[in-house]
Amino acid sequence: MSNQSLSRRRFIGAAGATAGVVAVGGGIWATTLRDSVEQSVLEGIGSTTSTTTTAAGTGAAPYGDRILVVLEMAGGNDAINTLVPASGLYNDARRELALPANELVTLSGTDYRLHPALTTLAPYWDDGSMAAVAGVGLVDQSRSHFKAMDTWWSGIPGAPSRTGWLGRWLDATLEGPNDPLRAIALGGGSPALVGDKTLATVVRNPANFSLRTFPDMDADTLINAFLDTAEPLAQTPELAAAQAAIPSTLEAVELLATVSGDIDETAVFGSGPQRGGESVTDLLQTAAGIINLGVGTRVMTVGISGFDTHADQLSRHHDLLNDVGAGLAGFFERLAADGHLDKVMVVTTSEFGRRIQENGSFGTDHGTGGLQFIFGPGVVGGQVAGELDLANPVNGDLPVVLDTRSVYSIALDWLGGPTDEILGGPHDRLGLLAA
Amino acid sequence: MTTREDIAFLARRAAWGLAPGELDALEALGTTAYIDALVDPDGAGIEAEPSPWVDFEYVDEQEVRQQQGLETLDRWTTHLVETKRPFENAMAWFWHDHFAVSFQVVQYLPTLIDHLDLIRDQGLGDFRELIRSISVDGAMLVFLDGATSTGDAPNENYGRELLELYTLGIGNYTEDDVQAAAVALTGWVVRRRLGWEVQFVPRRHDSSPQSFLGKTVNDVESVVDAACSHTACAGFASGKVARFFLGNPSDSVLNDMAERFAAAELDLSALARDVLEAGAAGESTPLVVAPVPWFIGALKATGALIEPRAQIGLLRAMGQVPGSPPNVGGFPGASTWLASSSTAARFGAANVIARSTADDAAAITLAADGEWDGLADLLLRPSGFSAATLAALRDLPANVSTRRGEGALALALASPDLLIV
Repeated sequence: MSNQSLSRRRFIGAAGATAGVVAVGGGIWATTLRDSVEQSVLEGIGSTTSTTTTAAGTGAAPYGDRILVVLEMAGGNDAINTLVPASGLYNDARRELALPANELVTLSGTDYRLHPALTTLAPYWDDGSMAAVAGVGLVDQSRSHFKAMDTWWSGIPGAPSRTGWLGRWLDATLEGPNDPLRAIALGGGSPALVGDKTLATVVRNPANFSLRTFPDMDADTLINAFLDTAEPLAQTPELAAAQAAIPSTLEAVELLATVSGDIDETAVFGSGPQRGGESVTDLLQTAAGIINLGVGTRVMTVGISGFDTHADQLSRHHDLLNDVGAGLAGFFERLAADGHLDKVMVVTTSEFGRRIQENGSFGTDHGTGGLQFIFGPGVVGGQVAGELDLANPVNGDLPVVLDTRSVYSIALDWLGGPTDEILGGPHDRLGLLAA
Repeated sequence: MTTREDIAFLARRAAWGLAPGELDALEALGTTAYIDALVDPDGAGIEAEPSPWVDFEYVDEQEVRQQQGLETLDRWTTHLVETKRPFENAMAWFWHDHFAVSFQVVQYLPTLIDHLDLIRDQGLGDFRELIRSISVDGAMLVFLDGATSTGDAPNENYGRELLELYTLGIGNYTEDDVQAAAVALTGWVVRRRLGWEVQFVPRRHDSSPQSFLGKTVNDVESVVDAACSHTACAGFASGKVARFFLGNPSDSVLNDMAERFAAAELDLSALARDVLEAGAAGESTPLVVAPVPWFIGALKATGALIEPRAQIGLLRAMGQVPGSPPNVGGFPGASTWLASSSTAARFGAANVIARSTADDAAAITLAADGEWDGLADLLLRPSGFSAATLAALRDLPANVSTRRGEGALALALASPDLLIV
């Protein structure tokens, strides 16, 4: 297996690295690989000379390709408290949860206004690199988190699918054996990345994505022995799958930058807006670091949760959107500084919107019509496609007026396609795709 | 399979491992008696165990609460290692996964501990009784917002998940059923100023009759009865328990189990016995083990002692922490534990476990002496390691670790073999 010998050679090459030592929970770890990883980061920076901010796709980074980042906001983001429609019906439905009009962020060219926690995004709206897609969903949009997420991930309504929409694109464009760095899931795995041939790398927490041994051990020998447990592959598919996970993990660990945040791994109760998860800011900074590495990554998912705001929505939703707004703005600033802004499109997803009427717990229950944003040079921004139509509710929900496969189509077009065959036929690009 | 292999299988799936020497004793006892002891420890003369948790006073200070939370998680993992009634605790874990009540959401330890006691005390009892208790459990009322749901503005969160995740599964109810359940379940509150006491407040309850799953309901009792009497309930619940322990048994096996579970009036101990007997009879498929049972099994086999803070750090790095299911659907599926993060973290955790194992522990001496079959047997793989792992162990130089055997033990624990149960 060529992958394996490649990895083995790299590990032997890393043997001379000095062991860095960090304290974790009273134990002392040697991070023998961290140095070689950091070296890769440096190489990545050194080879990135482009500072272009012109037309999309002309970046001069080592692998020169466009990148898609999908921000998955799990739980069902409340569309009308994110992008607030200018309608008296809004205040009628949201007696407790209506955002004060004087705090909302005006968006030029539209009557919709943004949640105040997203103020940091207004400049992108103004410069035409941010668009909203409103009243979006899928055929048979379900109010079950799990059924809805399955469909959003697969991009195939009405039928169970083993593969995700991004996984099918990765399969279709794969040349040669699986490359674990083409697709990276940050914050947790994403079923959208599941393909028949593609195995994505999952980095739950960037700060500890490493192979740790103690300083007095021969780490390289032990890691190479770990690699040896993966071959020959066993007869049972489950054991073979467990074996196959090892070489791709070692390759990814070796190559990926570890942008370590100060995340307290031992906190029992998380203090962030999510349930014990990582912040959008940390995860997107890692994404920016990976882009700067230039290791051929084409697709990244960033998984965050907590949007299931059945109760106490105002403060929780504010904290979540604040994290999203700050995280995205920081991400774009970092991309601009590194000269990669012209390569990247960001698309947000969430499995459904929420009910128009609030409930009695200062929250909102599961609805249907949702909201997505698209960012980057690939979108004709400054406009809202579709609408959040409060006047014509369907069973108390915002009507679904657009198909999320339109957004997926724009995203796959950005990557260079193929698109329509991945998404079961052509879908309207909504006038949002930049020429 | 030999009796030793059957026992090892049951111990991996239903007991999350064995301490050194226990496999010999259980082999002498025999498969049937072992299943009896797992499912009915009282009948086997194994003493009931008190609640392993400490009843903390609630302190409104973040640092103290984190410390109390840490101690609670430590007592939880310690109990999972030391219990003489391992299946009772594995079932409690199943319910923890099933109901998925999160410490991150509820954040009030006394009520969380009551919840943990509830799923341990009733986890092998009557399913209907369990669902009834859960429906008015303080932690659940807060977790899925029943405590703030009123007749004027019902909150659907618990009503929906009761149907979708806890009793019937999607496709067996309508949106109207969800809303009817939400209305009928109103009126329950958690009095935060009175130590989170659960109370029923009639004026917050809408007692008007609701049409729900073809029946008329107006309170917790009638909602739970209607859901648990639904034809889909026995199959949904038994199927989930069976898959948790057996992987993917055939449809005919699952259908038979569902019928017997319904005939047994949803008696969970009857179901559990059915599931374990099917497993011992070979009706199972290989399963990728989650980090917590992997960790507990490794601690049992090695006797390693690891301080609480480090334990939580290791489990979090692998992606599974007691008390923190990522969402209302519970812990994720097998592919998550094969993901790169978990794979890398498992390697680190195996090193810590090996380092924390005593010099005279069987795990270290077997590894130091190159007794690979003996080490595999200690780790409940009586038919030995896979060809790849065995070759890697044989080729590993003894001086990979300062202490002989430590590197080999870490490699064995991290190997793909230990990930499949």
